[in-house]
Amino acid sequence: MTHAGPDSVSTVVDETTKTFDVVVVGAGPAGSAAALEVARAGYSVALVERGPFPGAKNVYGGVVYGRILDELVPRWWERMPVQRWVTRRATMVMTPTQALTLDFRTQDWGKPPYNGATAHRADLDSWLAELAVEAGAVLVPSTVVTGLLRDHAGAVVGVRTDRPDGDLTAGVVIACDGVNSFLAKEAGMYRTGHEAEHLTLGVKQTLALPREAIEERFAVSGRDGVDIEMLGCTRGIPGGGFLYTNLDSVSIGVVLGLTGVSKAKTRPEELIAELKRHPAIAPLIKGGEQIEYSAHLIPEGGYRAMPELIGDGMLVAGDAAAMCLAAGIWLEGVNFALGAGMYAGRAAAAALKAGDVSGQGLAGYRTMLERSFVLADHRKLRDLPGLVLSDRMQQNYPGMVCDLVQGLFQVDNPLPKPGLRTLLRRSAKDNGVRWRDLVRDGWTGMRGLR
Amino acid sequence: MLVVAALRWSDQRATVDPLTGEVHSDARTSGAGAADRAALEHALRIAEAFGGRCLAVTVGPAEAGEMLREALAAGAHDALRVEGPAATVAEDGSETARLLLDGLQDRPDVVVCGDHSADRGTGSTPAFLAQRLGACQALGLIELTAADGALHAVRRLDGGRRERLTFGLPAVCSVEPADTVLRRAPLPATIAARTAEIPVARAGSMRYLRAGTAKPYRPRARALPPPPGSEPHQRMLALTGALVERTPPKVLRPATPEDAARELLDYLRRHGYAP
Ligand SMILES: Cc1cc2nc3c(=O)[nH]c(=O)nc-3n(C[C@H](O)[C@H](O)[C@H](O)COP(=O)(O)OP(=O)(O)OC[C@H]3O[C@@H](n4cnc5c(N)ncnc54)[C@H](O)[C@@H]3O)c2cc1C
Repeated sequence: MTHAGPDSVSTVVDETTKTFDVVVVGAGPAGSAAALEVARAGYSVALVERGPFPGAKNVYGGVVYGRILDELVPRWWERMPVQRWVTRRATMVMTPTQALTLDFRTQDWGKPPYNGATAHRADLDSWLAELAVEAGAVLVPSTVVTGLLRDHAGAVVGVRTDRPDGDLTAGVVIACDGVNSFLAKEAGMYRTGHEAEHLTLGVKQTLALPREAIEERFAVSGRDGVDIEMLGCTRGIPGGGFLYTNLDSVSIGVVLGLTGVSKAKTRPEELIAELKRHPAIAPLIKGGEQIEYSAHLIPEGGYRAMPELIGDGMLVAGDAAAMCLAAGIWLEGVNFALGAGMYAGRAAAAALKAGDVSGQGLAGYRTMLERSFVLADHRKLRDLPGLVLSDRMQQNYPGMVCDLVQGLFQVDNPLPKPGLRTLLRRSAKDNGVRWRDLVRDGWTGMRGLR
Repeated sequence: MLVVAALRWSDQRATVDPLTGEVHSDARTSGAGAADRAALEHALRIAEAFGGRCLAVTVGPAEAGEMLREALAAGAHDALRVEGPAATVAEDGSETARLLLDGLQDRPDVVVCGDHSADRGTGSTPAFLAQRLGACQALGLIELTAADGALHAVRRLDGGRRERLTFGLPAVCSVEPADTVLRRAPLPATIAARTAEIPVARAGSMRYLRAGTAKPYRPRARALPPPPGSEPHQRMLALTGALVERTPPKVLRPATPEDAARELLDYLRRHGYAP
């Protein structure tokens, strides 16, 4: 069997009749959204997926943010296979013995139109693909796309798969084949080097816990749920951690810079074990039985690491175009993939209608992305991925912040209470933080968030 | 010539809840196991060799249609789903065999099954199929080929030995996955099969066997202890009952056929041939 791989080369074909108007590669959130939009526009579309069913092999932490779904699937909350609605979001900054949590809850997020939800990938991806199939897309599972077909002018005119007689010709190919997209690379859309630096490794365990234990420990009831992002729990390796609640299980994991983890010679499962033993986490997951262990790459390079998004006869969306937003308090990829897929589908349909599927004919895709959160957020937060993954953010700031707060809350009578400036100076010095860096990083953070 | 691939639909990745012990199965991870996929491949090859048609059949719920679509894509000429229970039937395989044959319109010449399924599989369904069809049975095969109008097979025996079999039709075979891999379905067939309608039969709706001939009841052979006596002559006398006190043969003239039947059944019961 042949697979798409780093060495895959495009095949040049003579002009043929099109099997489909559009071929979408990968039935993740991006692919299903793209196929759904193309099918809705009345064009024929094949959604090719290598897994035996959509979501069979896909991995993520577990939270989906709903706003983009409002546009894609009206009243989606009545139909989506949801585990819990996220009504508590927390960011935890930690050292091996300390934890400072900024914990926010609102019941507004526990009712329509809902802000975020936890959902299993197998359920979520199958549901999204089913919507596309209902609209008329043809889902082709257990089929790996191994390369691109091009015409003599170099335009993409279809894909080759690993099945016998496995060529599919199409007006437009939408590559939604996830992180490390061999199709985007084969098309020459990735121009940057140092790819490993733009990737992190996400490792996740799912632990079964009785529903009552989750409700008691996380202080939620009914279908309410919690999303906790963590910083400072990866032994200084660039990255972070997460803990999300499902109905009767929790997902816990770490996200690790690829080059950092290989240099540190530490196994990711050791880091998760350490995180699970942390005094702030252990009581939450005590007695949890591991039912799943999975790992996947995440494109964390952000705006600067994105490839070309449009080629002649081809569009790239979702993780395949490095559209995952990972910047400390955010780890969002599904909503960006859904948005990008949706716009890619619309742009493909518009180009087919206009009879021009060249790069120029497909240019509406970029315009739609720029007008929406997909590229606007990435552009605005373009410096944050670097800041979050920097050594200072990973090794110095968590300790500094925790020491500062410990100093504030510690009662040292009969000594008088120290002033904030003294505490700040002391905790910065103890944790090797230079003022210059602090100011610069603070400025970068503020600029990113403004 | 009809070659039937009888496929078992079961969850290949069923999970057990570690907290409650409940078994969760999911239609998305359900389908044909390795042995059933090998059975389909053999059925396709046999149909090719005999110039016959290959029919993929399953007894199962609507979700099992997906597995049959894959069989169509791989080359099966037809598919049929016999409406069956969604949950696994806790039975010895005879019920599955009954439902399956009940659903068929034509009598199959060859039936190929997987040797046993991953969920509670006892491997007895093929034997029940053979018994119901009155066909040869060759079970637990690691090789199966069709040539010269007959089937040739190799069966694994204990101690690493092998048994070679040659048998005619009709036949029911069950196969181990061994090294037989289901062929990769071509893309156009895969796409066509995605929207193929899978005919559904209800057990009893097309029952071709119902009108078949009823066979006479044949009591099972019973092992009896050898008669006592060291001389062959004595043993012969003991066996025939000559020169000993015995119940003399009785000639009955029952008044009605019912009386005759009752008399015969009583006799069989007295001697342990009937329950
Ligand atoms: C550990 C971890 C935690 C995460 N947590 C979150 C979170 O909580 N919330 C969030 O929003 N995001 C999260 N993300 C990011 C999110 O998972 C991705 O951004 C998102 O899934 C991208 O969607 P996609 O459709 O672009 O790609 P994918 O979901 O990766 O889908 C790609 C699809 O293409 C298929 N495919 C690939 N190659 C081929 C081929 N050659 N032929 C055919 N099919 C192919 C794959 O099987 C797959 O189905 C997390 C990621 C990881 C790894």
